[in-house]
Amino acid sequence: MPLMSRLSSLWRNLVHRERVERDLDDEIRGALDLMVQEKTRAGLSASEARRAAALELGPPDALKDGVRDIRAGALIDGLLRDLRYAVRLLRRNPLFAATASLSLAVGIGVNSAAFSVTEAALLRSWPASAPERLVRIVATTPEGQESSFSYPDYRDLRDQTRALEGVLAYARHGTMLPIGAESHLVLDDLVSTNYFDVLGLSAARGRTFGAADANRQPVVVISDTLWRRVFNADPSVVGTTINLTNRSYAVIGIAPPGFRGLERAVPTDLWIPAESEEGETALGNRSSREFELLGRLRSGATPAQTRADLETIGRRLALAYPAVDQGRLMGLVSERDRLRGVLFPAFLFMTGVGLVLLISCANVAGLMLARYEARRREIALRLALGVSRRRLVRQLLTESTLLALVGAALGLLLAAWLLHLQPALMPPMEVEIGLDLRLDPGVVLVTVAASALTVLVFGLVPALQAARLGVVSSLKSQEQPAGRRRLALSLRSLFVLGEIALAMVLMTASALLLRSLLHSERMDLGIDTAKHVVLFDLVPGVAQYDAQRSLLFFEQAAERARSVPGVAHATFARRVLLSGSGGGAEQRVSIPGVVLPQGQPSIRIKFNAVGPHYFETVGTRLLTGRSLTPADASSSPRVVVISDFMARRFWPGVNPVGRHIAIEGRDCEIVGVVQDARINHVHESREPYLYLPFAQAPVHQGTLIVETAGDSHLVTAAIRDRVRALDPNVPMTVRTLDDILRLAFWQDRMAAGFVGVLGLLGMFLAAVGLYGVIAQMVNRRRQEIGIRVALGAGRRSVLGLVLGDGLTLATFGTGAGMVAAFGATRLMSTLLYGVEPTDPLAFAASAAVVMLVTLTATYIPARRALGVDPITVLRCE
Amino acid sequence: MSKRHANLLQGTLDLLILKALTAGELHGLGVSRRIEQITRGTFLVQPGSLFPALHRLEEAGWLASTWQTSENNRRAKYYTLTRAGRRQLGEETADWNRIALAIARALDA
Repeated sequence: MPLMSRLSSLWRNLVHRERVERDLDDEIRGALDLMVQEKTRAGLSASEARRAAALELGPPDALKDGVRDIRAGALIDGLLRDLRYAVRLLRRNPLFAATASLSLAVGIGVNSAAFSVTEAALLRSWPASAPERLVRIVATTPEGQESSFSYPDYRDLRDQTRALEGVLAYARHGTMLPIGAESHLVLDDLVSTNYFDVLGLSAARGRTFGAADANRQPVVVISDTLWRRVFNADPSVVGTTINLTNRSYAVIGIAPPGFRGLERAVPTDLWIPAESEEGETALGNRSSREFELLGRLRSGATPAQTRADLETIGRRLALAYPAVDQGRLMGLVSERDRLRGVLFPAFLFMTGVGLVLLISCANVAGLMLARYEARRREIALRLALGVSRRRLVRQLLTESTLLALVGAALGLLLAAWLLHLQPALMPPMEVEIGLDLRLDPGVVLVTVAASALTVLVFGLVPALQAARLGVVSSLKSQEQPAGRRRLALSLRSLFVLGEIALAMVLMTASALLLRSLLHSERMDLGIDTAKHVVLFDLVPGVAQYDAQRSLLFFEQAAERARSVPGVAHATFARRVLLSGSGGGAEQRVSIPGVVLPQGQPSIRIKFNAVGPHYFETVGTRLLTGRSLTPADASSSPRVVVISDFMARRFWPGVNPVGRHIAIEGRDCEIVGVVQDARINHVHESREPYLYLPFAQAPVHQGTLIVETAGDSHLVTAAIRDRVRALDPNVPMTVRTLDDILRLAFWQDRMAAGFVGVLGLLGMFLAAVGLYGVIAQMVNRRRQEIGIRVALGAGRRSVLGLVLGDGLTLATFGTGAGMVAAFGATRLMSTLLYGVEPTDPLAFAASAAVVMLVTLTATYIPARRALGVDPITVLRCE
Repeated sequence: MSKRHANLLQGTLDLLILKALTAGELHGLGVSRRIEQITRGTFLVQPGSLFPALHRLEEAGWLASTWQTSENNRRAKYYTLTRAGRRQLGEETADWNRIALAIARALDA
């Protein structure tokens, strides 16, 4: 039976390979012997017979290959053989194998990880079914585009729209969830009851919200993550009640696994229908804009029709509620608009990372070329022994593929490890934040393919050349034709030159970001960052305090803090500057005698409500007038302190102290002007700002701000205990000014750190490449150096000879890199503060570092040139 | 047709090897010599074609092999026709005759 017979042959060939090979050897040798006998019998001399027989039989290796090729399982067998050979070769050259595969691994790993971040942060669409039909609804105001709406506006929009199939609303909140004995902050979204329906998601267990949930007993849907983390994935939690900020909620369902809400970096733990929270939040207040809206396009509806529909509704709202909605045009951002917006940052990010891939590919290409130089003789020898060219090429292909595979595997490990670093790199926050990172199969494929292609092309092309070359000439002279050798070397030099240039670009980018970071950190933020300030975030509202009782609570807390030894100042405020907590709360201000843009009656200005001696405590300088004092009580005349920018904008050249403005319709006297302070971000542009006395604008949450004489945990602990004793039910979180600053500069530091790491990686790879080229040059010129030394050349001149080669490469590489950086760094001008993209210092410093590193990489092999012994070298000739 | 350069038609080599072995077992070189002999020197099978073909036929189950000691005390591999090989030879011979007849008719026409 042919099939059975072939299967048994396959088994024999693969399992008893050695016996099969030995048999083949014997068979061929036997045939040769028989032939020799025949020829001798025919009258040839022994040596002539041997020669004639060998000629008739042909090269034994070719003959064996011919037999091996037809064997059952020849493909597998050949592959295994090639693989074994490749592994042996790589193990014999561990330095080459390690450098090449690590180069590839770095390129692949960093790129895969970086693309995963880009994908998760920018490119990924909404976590919903048919996400391309979801649009974000926005309002265009004279101040710019904003995406928050009041709940009444949302209701009108939802009921009136024709082009949208459904509109959902969500607002970000925090709530306290008792876990064990302690309460923990978890993030909840207040949502419209159609939230999950518009997204097209259904609960993994239980159900999602229905229209009836709006007015019934409070219900909650919990995230899969929270369910696993807090409730140990217990299915019976559905149907029970949980306590959130002293209110009980029935758990009706668990969200689908992987669904983390609609903010990319801040996962949601719970969803609560906004309408069941009536009374708690400003649901009925049209001027309180807390909700973000997403709409689902009706199938077939075009964005243009939808836009027109939204504009009509927007105009209707502006007519009906001119006080709050005038000047707000409604529009939408489609998924395509959004992608178009993020394309440039994504491109910029990936370009930086792509440079590292380029450098590592150039490095590998250089290594492969060097290896080809070393292997020419081996290849020629194997050709002479009758290995077919086809087999040789297959062999070299296997080697390159093996190298690429090892590099890819290491690269993916590196990428996975980098993604695991995320929690350590996230800003210090109370709640866990972070992107939902996964290795994207597409990009893994692309980076691996790019690297594999590099390896294959640069491993195979020279090999093919070698295969075409005359066997005899390659074997005869150790030296190859000079022209060819110089070509290979100069191609390699070109790669190294390119690597140095790319490293220069990355180094310049990191130098610029570092300069920008240093500039930002030196910037006057409007608070004294050298002070030791401890912040106690307190939420009396949770313990059912109203605004007036909260005021009393804060006054008492500040008093208790002041009584602790080591405390310099203690005050309180509605919010902490730079705390990143939005800070969007505004007051409507009208200013007598000042005409506002577009004839509006009033302007919205952001504000803070602060306790007595706030400015002294945080170190905001008073420019003119007076500070706020305990005398500015609830019953006293209303006063306000304004920012320098506001004073210059509305009263240019005039001292505004003593003037009156109307805040939310109530008359207020300006009593002082303070320096500008950053409100939310380090890099925001200046805007007018108000400081109201806390007593005249109390709220049921705020921060106790304490300046201590030194950085003392004992003082902090003492204050915490005293304040907690005041009312243990008021939730408290302790932070320091340093925490806040760390958070404020987190983005700048991450950018500088990230690009810096890329720069160092690039620099390192380029140095390795250069080292390789110079080492090879030294090897090639051993004879020349030996002769020079024999003729009396000194150490200096030998060193100079080799260093000269390195210096040439380094100079041209750095120069080319400088030109490239000059063009490239302007792309990152939006990331730079207080430093020009063409900053000469950054360019000079990077060039110096690149030159220094490259020269060091040259010096090491150059020193080896000094060790060349002229006698040995000349005797070898 | 010059005898040295006669190209074997696809499949003819198998036929000739099977035929060469009908008389009894032979080692590889013997098969080659036997083919040369029965074709009166028209076909000279090169080792590069012969050995792969022998191994292919063996793996297909048409040939069997045994190791024997040759005249000069070396291990030598001898091939014999199996029953399946004999059947295969019959089929291939019939095929060949049909084709040869058809070609001859075509050329006579």
